[in-house]
Amino acid sequence: MIAPAEPPLRELDDQRQHEVLDRVWAHKPGLSGWFSVTTHQAIGMRYIVTAFLFLLAGGVEALLMRLQLARADNHFLSPDKYNQIFTTHGTTMMFLFAVPVMEGMGVYLVPLMVGTRNVAFPRLNAFGYWMYVIGGLFLYAALFVNSGPDAGWFAYPPLSGPQYSPGKRVDVWAQMITFTEISAMCVAAELAATILKMRAPGMTLNRIPMFCWGMLIQSFMVLFAMPAVMVASTVMLLTDRTIGTHFVNPAAGGDPLLYQHVFWFFGHPEVYIIFIPALGMVSSILETNCRRGIFGYIAMVMSLVATAFIGFGLWVHHMFATGLPQIGEAYFTASSMMIAIASGVQIFCWIATIWSGRIRFTASVHFVLGFVFIFVMGGMTGVMLAAIPIDLQVHDTYFVVAHFHYVLIGGALFPLFGGFHHWFPKMTGRMLDETLAKISFWILFVGFNLTFFPMHILGLKGMPRRVYTYPGEMGWDPGNRLATVGAFLIAIGGMVFIANVLRSRRLGAVAGRNPWYAGTLEWVASSPPANYNFEFLPVATGRYPLWAAHEDRTVVTGLNNTRREVLVTTLMDAAPCFRYILPGSSIWPFVTSLLLSIGLIGSIFQFWWYYVSMGLGIIGFVGWFWPRTKEPSR
Amino acid sequence: MTRLRTLDLSALPAGNVSYQHPLWWGQLFLAFTEGSVFCILIAMYFYIRLSMDVWPPPGVQLPQTLLPTVCTVLLILSCAGSYIASEGAKKDDRTRVLLGLLLNVVLATAAMVLRLVALRQWNFSWRTTAYGSINWAILFLHTVDVIADLLFTVVLILIFAVGRHGPKQRIGVHVDSVVWYFLVLIWIPLYVITAWGPWITGGSG
Repeated sequence: MIAPAEPPLRELDDQRQHEVLDRVWAHKPGLSGWFSVTTHQAIGMRYIVTAFLFLLAGGVEALLMRLQLARADNHFLSPDKYNQIFTTHGTTMMFLFAVPVMEGMGVYLVPLMVGTRNVAFPRLNAFGYWMYVIGGLFLYAALFVNSGPDAGWFAYPPLSGPQYSPGKRVDVWAQMITFTEISAMCVAAELAATILKMRAPGMTLNRIPMFCWGMLIQSFMVLFAMPAVMVASTVMLLTDRTIGTHFVNPAAGGDPLLYQHVFWFFGHPEVYIIFIPALGMVSSILETNCRRGIFGYIAMVMSLVATAFIGFGLWVHHMFATGLPQIGEAYFTASSMMIAIASGVQIFCWIATIWSGRIRFTASVHFVLGFVFIFVMGGMTGVMLAAIPIDLQVHDTYFVVAHFHYVLIGGALFPLFGGFHHWFPKMTGRMLDETLAKISFWILFVGFNLTFFPMHILGLKGMPRRVYTYPGEMGWDPGNRLATVGAFLIAIGGMVFIANVLRSRRLGAVAGRNPWYAGTLEWVASSPPANYNFEFLPVATGRYPLWAAHEDRTVVTGLNNTRREVLVTTLMDAAPCFRYILPGSSIWPFVTSLLLSIGLIGSIFQFWWYYVSMGLGIIGFVGWFWPRTKEPSR
Repeated sequence: MTRLRTLDLSALPAGNVSYQHPLWWGQLFLAFTEGSVFCILIAMYFYIRLSMDVWPPPGVQLPQTLLPTVCTVLLILSCAGSYIASEGAKKDDRTRVLLGLLLNVVLATAAMVLRLVALRQWNFSWRTTAYGSINWAILFLHTVDVIADLLFTVVLILIFAVGRHGPKQRIGVHVDSVVWYFLVLIWIPLYVITAWGPWITGGSG
């Protein structure tokens, strides 16, 4: 039973409702209050801001590398510094920027889009954020004391093993992974539970907004893929380095290739973990700005699911040059090409949406169209690399560097920027300046292609990746110089973007609740949303409830608003099931993350610090879960 | 004031102890993650087996099977305690919750003691070739998971014993039983591998 056919019309006092809810959902005051926040808007925003700061750091590292490579035989950076910087650049962009920023967008938007007041596990959400921050600071602290990891973002043994990488650099990398993975898994579990169990009444599975589908599918990928990198980095690499196990030591039955298998069983899905939420953003932006529902909703969802499944069957294409049996390699070539079908369905559905809608060329649409162009380029070099003979030629050259920057920046960063421009009014209550936004788009677009297109050619000319310099007679100077110019153009585009954000946050036009006339529920809330999101929880009367006639809009009444109460609904049909009281603010998630971190950081020196971590962690969790007052049963 | 259609849900119950609860799902998802870790370890076990000529390596005795078998049986029996406790939690029956949780903790602790005794009989360490590494990794990670859950169960017992329990703790008990079933279920293939693996896949070549 979802609703009576004709729910009664009633006069509702939203001002009174606002006063009651505002008190219940208020943050605690002061500094300890700041560390106790558990509302999803605040945590989501912290994720996004923190991730953008790491993007800046990773960007500065990229500029340093481009300066070093701008001309042959350059000595701006020493080889050792260069190794640390390219490793930290890759690690930052993958683990501290790309995944967390998508998680942050999900944490911010999903509860709004499914029409509830917070994520399913608010304290876990806060805990995950603090683990992420501590992990990131740990990496950068190490870099600043000249102990930054230097074996590449995937830390292949034997180079990363105890014999060839003495010191603590690789250990820092391996344990930093643990922090970011714990954070990603917290977000995955809470978003999947939120999307499956806390949707607005009436939001059946085939009414879930596309971005939420993206986050749901991404969450499942995180749950199944992330454990692999923890096994690779901590169980295999770290224990080999600290307590003398032999997982990657071929002299004692181990195998460095086993590490590669386990790492890439995570590493390939990782690309889709970053990319699938971005696809969801693209669909949400396009349907709003084409002023029609997405073309082929079911085909879109199915192709997202297919991408996720096939994404788990591709990892060996990162290992074509390792001498695996050819029959196995052929299978992975086929599956690598198969994923182009799922991506193709998406692209064609978007084209159909644009074609049959009335498109509005907002800045966010600019970023989406830029994405389509760049991502298709990256996809085509991807199909080329899936062919083993080509892969063997260009393996570990700048061709590969060009390919994955096209896929990752094109496939994730451009949609993310589009999404950021699209939802900025919701998050801040102000509009971004459209002209400045379009200028920053064009600078970024030109700068991006200028940086990365020449790398295809450099790769075909044989320039290997991860070299700190190259001799003049190789003829690689012009391409590298272009790339360096492009990189600085990207930096300028980034600065225009930042200037726009800072200016518009204070001076931009007031946005109102629904500046784009979008159809999904996040636009019902005020901009920026109150801590409780909605005065009255909405009912989803269709896939695009806001495009329905105003007299058909329906809201939920009868919840107890003197406590943080939300609605749990059934998995398939989103029929109301029971009222769920969410926990309030608490400093314990922060304290627990600190306690756990002490042991985890210690464990790169001595194994027994794990026991310290466990003991301290238990103290934290008891503080977290111990009931403060006896709970009323109703 | 706004005039809108309304759906009055004041009659819905507050709280619920069943699979409908988001916590149940959250716990299931974390079990997926842990299950994924163990599946990868199983795959690694066979990969390493294929890359070593002699299994177990020279000087390592074939594993004892009696103690691990008894330990596994105790773990399976301990699920009864979890079941009693979670049924008690659904009916808000404090005595059954306490009895069930205690039964679970006692049997599981006995199983862990047997496991430690069995581990002391291993004549190899994690440094004894990759064979030692993978066997110790499986045992260590599973034991850590079990002990963490046992500690959580003890905290639940304390909360119920001092009478500070409410709907949140009742769903906690129910969810705790889900974790426990998972840990026991995943142990069965791990038991087969660590106790019987070398007997079945052993030898040279």
